[in-house]
Amino acid sequence: MGTFRKVCRWLHRELGFFAVGLTLVYAISGIAVNHVHHWDPNHAKTVETRSIEAPGPGPTDEVEPLVLERLALGEPVRSTWRQSATVLQVFPEDGSTVDVDLTTGEVRRTSHSPRPLLFDMNFMHLNTGKGFWTVAGDVYASILIVLALSGIFLVKGRKGLAGRGGVLMVLGVLLPVIYAVAMRG
Amino acid sequence: MRKTVIVALALIIALTGTAVAKDKVYGKGVSDGDVTPISTIMDHKDDFQGKTVRISGTAVAVCSHRGCWVDISSDREGETLRLKVEDGVIVFPKSIVGKPITAEGVFTANHVTEDNHICSREHEGGEEVTCTTYYQVTGTGAVVRK
Repeated sequence: MGTFRKVCRWLHRELGFFAVGLTLVYAISGIAVNHVHHWDPNHAKTVETRSIEAPGPGPTDEVEPLVLERLALGEPVRSTWRQSATVLQVFPEDGSTVDVDLTTGEVRRTSHSPRPLLFDMNFMHLNTGKGFWTVAGDVYASILIVLALSGIFLVKGRKGLAGRGGVLMVLGVLLPVIYAVAMRG
Repeated sequence: MRKTVIVALALIIALTGTAVAKDKVYGKGVSDGDVTPISTIMDHKDDFQGKTVRISGTAVAVCSHRGCWVDISSDREGETLRLKVEDGVIVFPKSIVGKPITAEGVFTANHVTEDNHICSREHEGGEEVTCTTYYQVTGTGAVVRK
């Protein structure tokens, strides 16, 4: 085995082990955020409905205390806002939104809770935190480049670059190239 | 070892305490200067277009998936002004809903078609396309108070 191939194997093995955790984070989050137009990958939404005695669409300073009393939330409230003539919104401390229809008394509470693990994975994947994670992301991307390039030279012969491996590599390169050309066209 | 753990825990508690106590700054934050009431901006849209404004109110809605906009309540009931930020550059968490927010940015008008495409001059002159104007503050920063 040539020295070059030995170095490739060493790099691929060592960095491959190191990259397992981050690869799973980026891959799982990648699938999740790839479908952001279908679902909210960060939060699970829950809606609860109930009704209270309708206070009527009076002035906000008269209606607000009545709504809070009748809701009896039993938790601190951040603020309220008169969204329209018939709707008062109440914002409890947990970040949920309570829409109260002042004419019908219908109450709709919408909460968004972070999805376990996925929220944190997306936070890392999308680099929401910036700072240190920008460096971590760059290092990980560099490792992926080394893994990709070193992987080409791991096997020689029919299954390597000169055979089936080469064909698969060309296919993998052509896929994004053809897509890019088709999209621009 | 035990000493190290105690010091590390103390550090974490101190950092957490600091983070909880502070207002949260997004993007470039908000520079010093007067805050313009949203109702004033909305009553004089033409005068404010293209100008940098500082607005204040309650965060009443946040972009559901990407955190790229916040609707800020006006000082006038039932009125909001959207603070739009560049996707991925500033991300507002849903947890800020109901909290006081001050933001800075450029007041802009977006002319869009029904399917949310930008209205061109051709569209405006056409018969079949209806163009609507949405107003927003293209934000550079915000501060959410605790």
